[in-house]
Amino acid sequence: MVCSFQHTKKFSPETSRVTVIKDDRLGLDYPLMCRQCSDCPPLKACPTQAINREGGSITVDWQACIGCGACVEECRYDAVKLYDGKALICDLCGGDPQCVARCPTGALNYSEAPEFSETPWDAFNRLKEEWGIHG
Amino acid sequence: MAKIYGYTGKALRVNLTDQAYATERINEAEMRGYLGGRGFNAKRLYDEVGAGVDPMGPGNKLIFGTGPLVGTMFPTASRFNVSAKSPHTGILGDSNAGGHFAPEMKFAGYDQIILEGRSRSPVYVYVKDDRVEFRDASAIKGRTVFEADGFIKSELGDRRVQTVICGPAAEKGVRYGGLFANQVRAASRTGMGTVMASKNVKALAVRGTGHVEVAEPDEFERMVLELEQEIREHEQYPGRMLMGTTRILMMANDAGFLPTRNYTSGVYEDAYMVSGERLAEEYNVKNRGCFACTIPCSRVYSIREGPHKGLHGEGPEYEALGSFTSRIGNNDLELALKAIDLCNQLGLDILTVAGCVGWAMELYEAGELTVEDTGGLELTWGNGEALLTLIRLIADREGFGDVLADGSVEAAKRLGKGMDRTIQVKRMDLIMADPRGLKGFGLGYAVASRGGDHLRSEPFLELSDDPEIGERMFGVPESTLRLADRGKGRLVSYFEDWNAVIDSLEPCKNIMQNMMLLPFERAAEALEVATGLRATPEEMREAGARIVTLERMFGVREGVSRADDSLPSRFRDTPLREGASSGTVVDLDLMLDEYYAERGWDAATGHPTPDTLQRLGLGFAVTDLP
Repeated sequence: MVCSFQHTKKFSPETSRVTVIKDDRLGLDYPLMCRQCSDCPPLKACPTQAINREGGSITVDWQACIGCGACVEECRYDAVKLYDGKALICDLCGGDPQCVARCPTGALNYSEAPEFSETPWDAFNRLKEEWGIHG
Repeated sequence: MAKIYGYTGKALRVNLTDQAYATERINEAEMRGYLGGRGFNAKRLYDEVGAGVDPMGPGNKLIFGTGPLVGTMFPTASRFNVSAKSPHTGILGDSNAGGHFAPEMKFAGYDQIILEGRSRSPVYVYVKDDRVEFRDASAIKGRTVFEADGFIKSELGDRRVQTVICGPAAEKGVRYGGLFANQVRAASRTGMGTVMASKNVKALAVRGTGHVEVAEPDEFERMVLELEQEIREHEQYPGRMLMGTTRILMMANDAGFLPTRNYTSGVYEDAYMVSGERLAEEYNVKNRGCFACTIPCSRVYSIREGPHKGLHGEGPEYEALGSFTSRIGNNDLELALKAIDLCNQLGLDILTVAGCVGWAMELYEAGELTVEDTGGLELTWGNGEALLTLIRLIADREGFGDVLADGSVEAAKRLGKGMDRTIQVKRMDLIMADPRGLKGFGLGYAVASRGGDHLRSEPFLELSDDPEIGERMFGVPESTLRLADRGKGRLVSYFEDWNAVIDSLEPCKNIMQNMMLLPFERAAEALEVATGLRATPEEMREAGARIVTLERMFGVREGVSRADDSLPSRFRDTPLREGASSGTVVDLDLMLDEYYAERGWDAATGHPTPDTLQRLGLGFAVTDLP
């Protein structure tokens, strides 16, 4: 919510650039968001060059975006979504990501890290193993 | 008229009989008068479900309501109330839960969703923004809450759909079947799941892609940040993050009001073995939160070895934990977790299960119930295997489980014995705090609009045992001494009004009330910055009193009077023998006289007076007085 509020002054998970994958049975949660990959396939795939890298984060030019969804298809980590015909990607709030600032458990932090290829399902399986949960 | 923010201003009415639906406006007068969630539901129920309606018939209505703060980042604003006439008590049915369902209602565009009539075939109702589908539920009829949730998300191909589900127990007609959001967020008191099942509905699934806007975004954000800081700096923050409400178990035991062996004692000798502390140290692996929570106090546990190896899940909270441990004399924590998980899957209200099982165990131990009555079950204190068997039998309405499936009062009637040992008010089996150690709670149980329960009032300030607070806030020093009877009418009516406001704005009462974060003054400010509606703190309190009184009138219309504002006899005439609450009983009549005077209700009948109804804007209810 802080994401949608930061960008639009409205509250709407649909327009948040962070999507949380949840498994209520196992009690697991995993945030999907842009990992700022160096090769960024959505950037390469965009037919109108609406996606760019500026000042250290990925940006979307909504004038240029035609809502084709090629970026959604190309992102390895399901971190791009379309809302109202436009691509939504984390812009790091200009360098001070509000989701990190407001995370109540400290699960999110903002730092340089090597690219990691973990999916929610990898993470869930790792935790299940750790917690002794089977099935 | 200026635009009103926060609210969606719409109710969705779903007619199951005709498979039709329509939206209706909720106007400003309703918002000002009843605030939201619980208040909206009370008004709707009063207007649309008259005296004598069969709770399990098509004439009953199942109403989901949420509040103006929900769907925003207001800390803990995640909750909904679900209301109907109760099949368990025959009066107001109402229950509240958190999780992620309520905000989804708002994003779909609704403050309230009303299910009415009865479907011809088993369905689940799927609301996607402004569209409603009646989807075949024959594949999940009789299936557990967890299975049904998995099926619905998979069939709709949408992991983000939010569900509220009834379990197989409700479908078998157990009168205290609950409703479950996010699988384990239970709105399980008063049989709201049973009402859903009686309508041939397995679940309500909602997905919304809209948004919520507030009137003054900058002021709103300022208030949110201020609250978040106060929460983090609060003395209760570490304990709640570590243990959630399970932190209460040891506190209650130390204070001598932990219900033990069906309230025959207030001290459990094995309390530590089944405590929140032990859960935190040995079993918990992670915290989880409801929507918009700054203090995510829910915990995920995992059992790594032993007979219940592999059992894992979210929870439990104090009421469930105490229910299957001290209340029935069971010191096996893992077995209690198993029993809680089973009840969640089968969709049962744990407090009522424990009320019935504790009652039966007390009778069995007293020799008034034998294995002939129980179908061979040895209901000795702490017999965990018997508990697990009995839970399954209740959910199936089989054997002795069938006897217990309508609550302890019906069970006592059916067996022709043990009525004096039932621990209930207005047929609702009580919660986990012995009123001999908390007199104001006792008054709260006696007068609660939904029957024996603490969440209508929860006057926790009496736990302070600080007479200065009582003097300052209520003009009676004893009002905040837990073992005193005086001043409790004022204490309880204040807390009832306050809780009605919080239940209607719909943040979490555990945080906003128990941590003293949202008094009437700040509730008025929150309403204003969120919605644009201006109200004074006095008007907020009056809205609370209006809601409480209208709920009372729902009961009065069904025959409730002072005689029903009672407590089990042991609390009134038998002191506890050990612990820090021993040697005293509850002087209920004194407290009731004070309470009715405070409320402006007639002391002889317990009915609101016509003048009081008029003063609160409830003149329409005057003709319903007997």
